[in-house]
Amino acid sequence: MPPLMGIEFLCRVADVLSEYLGGLNEDVIKDNFVIVYELLDEMIDNGFPLTTEPNILREMIAPPNIVSKVLSVVTGNSSNVSDTLPGATGSCVPWRAADPKYANNEVYVDLVEEMDAVINRDGVLVKCEIYGEVQVNSHLSGLPDLTLSFANPSILDDVRFHPCVRFRPWESHQLLSFVPPDGEFKLMSYRVKKLKSTPIYVKPQLTSDAGKCRVNVLVGIKNDPGKTIDSITLQFQLPPCILSADLTSNHGTVNILSNKICSWSIGRIPKDKAPSLTGTLVLETELERLHVFPTFRVGFRIMGVALSGLQIDKLDLKTVPNRLYKGFRALTRAGEFEVRS
Amino acid sequence: MAPPAQSQRSPSRPQPSGKSEVSDLKLQLRQLAGSRAPGVDDSKRELFKKVISYMTIGIDVSSLFGEMVMCSATSDIVLKKMCYLYVGNYAKVNPDLALLTINFLQRDCHDEDPMIRGLALRSLCSLRVANLVEYLVGPLGSGLKDSNSYVRMVAVIGVLKLYHISASTCVDADFPSILKHLMLNDSDTQVVANCLSALQEIWSAEASTSEEATRERETLISKPVIYYLLNRIKEFNEWAQCLVLELVTKYVPSDSSEIFDIMNLLEDRLQHANGAVVLATIKVFLHLTLSMTDVHQQVYERIKAPLLTLVSSGSPEQSYAVLSHLHLLVMRAPYIFSSDYKHFYCQYNEPSYVKRLKLEMLTAVANDSNTYEIVTELCEYAANVDIPIARESIRAVGKIALQQYDVNAIVDRLLQFLEMEKDYVTAEALVLVKDLLRKYPQWSHDCIAVVGNISSKNVQEPKAKAALLWMLGEYSQDMQDAPYILESLVENWDEEHSAEVRLHLLTAVMKCFFKRPPETQNALGAALAAGIADFHQDVHDRALFYYRILQYNVSVAERVVNPPKQAVSVFADTQSSEIKDRIFDEFNSLSVVYQKPSYMFTDKEHRGPFEFSDELGNLSIGGELADDVVSAQRVEENDKDLLLTTSEKEETRGSSSNDSAYTAPYDSSSASVFASQTQIESAISNPTAAGHSPQASLAIDDLLGLGIPSVPAAPSPQLKLNTKAALDPSTFQHKWRQLPVALSQEFLLSPQGVAALTAPQALLRHMQSHSIHCIASGGQSPNFKFFFFAQKAEESSNYLVECIINTSTAKAQIKVKADDQSTSQAFSTLFQSALSKFGIP
Repeated sequence: MPPLMGIEFLCRVADVLSEYLGGLNEDVIKDNFVIVYELLDEMIDNGFPLTTEPNILREMIAPPNIVSKVLSVVTGNSSNVSDTLPGATGSCVPWRAADPKYANNEVYVDLVEEMDAVINRDGVLVKCEIYGEVQVNSHLSGLPDLTLSFANPSILDDVRFHPCVRFRPWESHQLLSFVPPDGEFKLMSYRVKKLKSTPIYVKPQLTSDAGKCRVNVLVGIKNDPGKTIDSITLQFQLPPCILSADLTSNHGTVNILSNKICSWSIGRIPKDKAPSLTGTLVLETELERLHVFPTFRVGFRIMGVALSGLQIDKLDLKTVPNRLYKGFRALTRAGEFEVRS
Repeated sequence: MAPPAQSQRSPSRPQPSGKSEVSDLKLQLRQLAGSRAPGVDDSKRELFKKVISYMTIGIDVSSLFGEMVMCSATSDIVLKKMCYLYVGNYAKVNPDLALLTINFLQRDCHDEDPMIRGLALRSLCSLRVANLVEYLVGPLGSGLKDSNSYVRMVAVIGVLKLYHISASTCVDADFPSILKHLMLNDSDTQVVANCLSALQEIWSAEASTSEEATRERETLISKPVIYYLLNRIKEFNEWAQCLVLELVTKYVPSDSSEIFDIMNLLEDRLQHANGAVVLATIKVFLHLTLSMTDVHQQVYERIKAPLLTLVSSGSPEQSYAVLSHLHLLVMRAPYIFSSDYKHFYCQYNEPSYVKRLKLEMLTAVANDSNTYEIVTELCEYAANVDIPIARESIRAVGKIALQQYDVNAIVDRLLQFLEMEKDYVTAEALVLVKDLLRKYPQWSHDCIAVVGNISSKNVQEPKAKAALLWMLGEYSQDMQDAPYILESLVENWDEEHSAEVRLHLLTAVMKCFFKRPPETQNALGAALAAGIADFHQDVHDRALFYYRILQYNVSVAERVVNPPKQAVSVFADTQSSEIKDRIFDEFNSLSVVYQKPSYMFTDKEHRGPFEFSDELGNLSIGGELADDVVSAQRVEENDKDLLLTTSEKEETRGSSSNDSAYTAPYDSSSASVFASQTQIESAISNPTAAGHSPQASLAIDDLLGLGIPSVPAAPSPQLKLNTKAALDPSTFQHKWRQLPVALSQEFLLSPQGVAALTAPQALLRHMQSHSIHCIASGGQSPNFKFFFFAQKAEESSNYLVECIINTSTAKAQIKVKADDQSTSQAFSTLFQSALSKFGIP
């Protein structure tokens, strides 16, 4: 039994269920057991995974959403199972439902990047990587054939594609050529290694003596990405040997949660001052100095910039439908961004 | 379930007592059954839902059966589905109802709507009631011919379900051959995939009893089928792709151009979004190129990036599974990830099982160029909040230290740990310093200076205390206070609860005594007295032994207790390379995650015939080797290959005598021919020598058994063997995997035979004259190992033999496997008589 097959399948089941039910917990499953049963019935039989493509499942079993509720009231037809079998099971583009029609043809491409970084005790950037996804939301009529090209595809380290992407054009010209599924999907994910710097800096200082530990954390902009950095947060776990903590900041709010997690939400960095967090930690009585140092986890969000520098060049359609709208966005947020102290 | 059942929080309601509710429901259902009013489906649905929720909380609603079936005569699929769930549940426990159910389902199998046909068929096959199988055959047969692929897909799985209920019914109805036809001709790939998985299961199970099934199973991995599936692979869904890829790993391509074709075709699978597909593809690549050293290295390069991506994206469970595979790979080829070590840095909020594996990876990838960074990183973890991980990372630093030539920096780090004044850090570091000193005694001065400052009171853990004591004893001449520290420990003998520590204390006092007698004499006396009075048997015995040996002769005692030591060059590896190889063969399976070959955690009966059986570890390699040896057109190339590997080996060995820490990983590295030889040697040479014995390279010369056309022999009267039998190595390997051991015997060789067996070739020629051919052989005096095969004259029935001969005990062990089990005894007699004539002119 290939282990990843099991794990991937379970993840997929969880994804599909939460997509259908808008969440996944015991109560939700109890309330919707019929739909869960129907879904599992289609997804696996006798231990073999069958259909897990959300688009096709949605055609076979309608999700219990408001629309279908309204629809059922209006039409009096309340079956959430379509009367016909999905056309796609027979077609050669299994991820695409047969011939949707839209009055407005729209396609949105989002670059969503997460920055993983580790900064060590000496303030050295040990590791900095971007994990990015190209998310596409397509509402296009017929069977559209799209080509997406990047201005600088060479920076990508490892890429993974949605099954709709054709391999050869990528191999030869780094072009993403594909017939998209309808609706939202993840077209591609990629990694960019070895970035040289992070947009913000976090400088923690901990000095401890005589049973007390003085904390001082500075946060500021290091490399201005050109857009505002917002939703900056800082979280760290207080070591178990700490009896009490008194922490204040000159910007934003500091909370110490019950499980000894200290959370400092900064928001945006003000122009006039660098936000700082100061305070003292009182150690357990017999301890002189602190031996276990917390790791600071940083969160932030930058709209409009892909920090890896990846840029979309253009998106072409083979047959251009009337009234086409193409939209591009980019977003970078912190993934596993850690600063050790 | 269109009106979402928000209102329907059945389990949270007061528990219905049963009877009255059920009869109430019965009444309502009966009213609805005949009704054709609009909206009736909705009310039916509500009722059905109630029924099923009662059913799930354990109320017996079987009395509603008739009404339920009546009500489900609609076109509403949700109703149908709920009804199927209901009947499926009760049919199993209530055979009377089952018959009713069958009628109801059979009727639905002819419904106009393909979805209903499919669902009914699925429910029908899921009943699993043994005495009703006859009713399944008809609907299944028509289901397999249905025009809608959904129904066919369900029917194929139905066949498999039928097979598990009643194998004979399934085979008699000729379903397997229908499936085979479907598999090769159906337009829907899901049907094809289901056929494939069903057939694999059926034929594997049948193979033990029917020869035809064995042959059919072989055809599954024959070239036409594999090519057919590979050409359509992009049409399959991701799960089916995994299935096909798994099948491809079992396929043995005939030449290298075929291998390249397959790899080119599959290369883009490495970019698939589903990790399972990626890993399955990697397995194909690795296995295809096992015998092509250069390409194998390129494969490692190629798979690096996808694997690393898999580690860092996805759930922690996924990371763990992938990391286990990486760990396996890195053991075979330590250099592949040496520049990507940063991927194995631990993230703060990873679960500790992932962190632990990452630490192992960091130790494994450490080499001269990255050690400094890795050790720096590991040292940061020592201050981790998670104490087990902190300990683990200190141990990792130690392991790296034991691997490296340049331990300078690491020793400093370890000594810093000792000064951290954190009890667990000190404890771990002490154990490591001890191991380090055993390997690099030259560092003793630096270490002892620091260790001497550690107060034994701060060390509580037995292991650490034992380590400290060992150092005190071993280096007492360098430590000013050693005798006094020991003395105070002896005084507090009773406070020490661990027997391990007391044993070490005794030994340490003894050693100290030999080095500094006047200062230690008191302590020694006290220690021996306390030791002899100890409750623990071992402590008592050791104390008494020391006492007596001192009494007998002090210098003898010193030679026994404190002989001059040689630095330990390699610490024993916990897992033999054979086991590691076996795990590698089972790449992309749970074996890798558990770090055990499958036979260690599965029962015999659950091991599929495709899996490796117990005795196969060495054999898979034997076969590969034979692959190199026998195929005549390749012999020459391979000779060169072998020469090359021999010289490579010599180099390794040269370095290993300087510092053998490198031997283990290097030897088991990926070069396939090379690895396989190491393997066969290790299998053959004395097990305690662990296969890395220096003389092993000599064995290579003797390793070749060439299939020279044979001289006509005098066959035995009962059994005639084909004198010109031919079997290619891959077939041999394959058969060996599949056939059970028909016979296993041990017997004595004649003294002449033993005398004549100086090199394997002699025996090979002899056996060949008896129409028994050798496919692989190896070993050197006194242990030899051979794989023979023979074919029955006029028939293509094969006998496979594994023969292990030990010339020092004059014993021969044989294991016989045969296509035709009934004649295996006759063959064994023939084999033994042939062997007994060896050496007699």
